[in-house]
Amino acid sequence: MTQTTKVREGEIWAVGGGKGGTGKTFITSSIGTYLAKKGKNVVLVDMDIGGANLHSFFGISRPLKSLTSFFEMGASLSDLVVKTDLDNISLISGDVHSISADKITFSQKLKLFRQIMKLNAQNVIIDLGAGSHYNTLDTFLIADRMVVVLVPEVIAIENMYHFIKNSLFRKVKKILKEYGFKEIVQHIWDRRQSYGINNIRELIDYLKDSFSYIGTILDHELAAFKVHLVLNMVRNNNDILLGASIKSVMMKYLGVPIQYSGYVEYNDAVWKSVRERKPFMINYLATGCAKEIEVLVENVIKGKEVSLPGGY
Amino acid sequence: MPKDELKKYYDMLELPSDAPLRDIHNSFLRLKKLYSGDSIVLAPLGEEFSEKKRKRVLEQIEEAYLKLLEAKKDAPSRTALLFSDGHEPEDGAERDKIGDAPLTGPSLRKLREKAGVDLNEIAKEMKLRMELLKSVEDEKYEALPEAIYLKVHLKNYASFLGLDPVRVTEEYLRRYQAWKEKTVPTEK
Ligand SMILES: Nc1ncnc2c1ncn2[C@@H]1O[C@H](COP(=O)(O)OP(=O)(O)OP(=O)(O)O)[C@@H](O)[C@H]1O
Ligand SMILES: [Mg+2]
Repeated sequence: MTQTTKVREGEIWAVGGGKGGTGKTFITSSIGTYLAKKGKNVVLVDMDIGGANLHSFFGISRPLKSLTSFFEMGASLSDLVVKTDLDNISLISGDVHSISADKITFSQKLKLFRQIMKLNAQNVIIDLGAGSHYNTLDTFLIADRMVVVLVPEVIAIENMYHFIKNSLFRKVKKILKEYGFKEIVQHIWDRRQSYGINNIRELIDYLKDSFSYIGTILDHELAAFKVHLVLNMVRNNNDILLGASIKSVMMKYLGVPIQYSGYVEYNDAVWKSVRERKPFMINYLATGCAKEIEVLVENVIKGKEVSLPGGY
Repeated sequence: MPKDELKKYYDMLELPSDAPLRDIHNSFLRLKKLYSGDSIVLAPLGEEFSEKKRKRVLEQIEEAYLKLLEAKKDAPSRTALLFSDGHEPEDGAERDKIGDAPLTGPSLRKLREKAGVDLNEIAKEMKLRMELLKSVEDEKYEALPEAIYLKVHLKNYASFLGLDPVRVTEEYLRRYQAWKEKTVPTEK
């Protein structure tokens, strides 16, 4: 059995994207709240070790339990679930001070993934935090629904490209490792200049062309690599259109198909709700933001995309 | 054109294979703009985004657009395509009726609006003045240039909309000439 084999019924979402402060935690909490209101049983997992604040979005100041017990005492994940004030939704806090994300060992990571997959919930939603550390990418890759959040600005876009490219690179490595071709990817990548390979797409194409057996495997396994893009803090139609441009560039330059699943307007109500320590999707349901979150969740579930403004 | 070749062009314009003409135009304009300039979406690609590659993408987009326009032209009735969102009408008679409607200025405008194309898109793409195109659709003949120039403009306009340029120019110019003869008696 492989690490990505899923022994569970629920569905895992992961929310990342590279850059800090783009709204990952806000989006995670809002997706969760919306699904819970639809009657799903939801557990949120805060994997932003060191920067954990998901609990604040539910008005919880200091969570009684956190992943600290998992890393230090070997507590089981299902015992660390904390209730929120809302029905159907609880969370596991990442409020851990004794360990930093990059100190998590390989076996801890595998154990964590196994237990996340076994959580008793219809929807598990993981807040990945910022950055593209390989532990973050690996967590991203266990999800059924991979969501990246970005804002319409160049650094966020840059970090997001990096995040997705590296996720795909790790995914390819992982797939080939499972089939017993562990070293080949890194070997070729390290010599990419002499092979004339410029990016992950060209690497994949090279592998496919050179080893038809690997090609078949990659085609099959990579069909499931579907990233959902969410553009947060948009202020006008041009911002919204950026999502379509990013999708185009991802495909034409990196050969990576992504879904432009949704956008969320910039709205002062977001920080107000954080300050008031009340869940956004409960207190500000009438805002455009809340509607857009509903649309984006439905789009992700149904595999639909944003309909572009201005007849595009 | 073989089906898989067509699909390649639709893919290039990021459209499903049954996309109507209107979407083909819009996608083309959007992608052309994206890959022509220095968008904040392209800037972060750094070395992966070579000038050569960008130009190649632009060429491919233009090729796909032209090929798809051509493919749509081969269909039984271009006008019908505009009316039916790219799906051919089941009923042949209905199609002919639409296809044979007299092409006046207002009916051209209708076709354009059905296709979801903005006048200023045509103006920009074909390097024409908006006012001129408006006058064409309003049949404000007095504001239109000499027939020889008008003919070129009409051809551009028609082909942008995927209409038959010959038919559009002929029918339009016939009405234009008729008006001219009435209002400006030619010296014998
Ligand atoms: N759509 C929005 N409109 C206005 N403000 C927003 C919006 N989304 C998020 N914010 C604000 O941006 C700030 C950052 O949001 P959030 O904490 O969710 O980002 P993050 O990506 O989780 O950050 P980090 O990388 O530090 O974990 C918060 O103050 C939040 O209130
Ligand atoms: Mg956060």
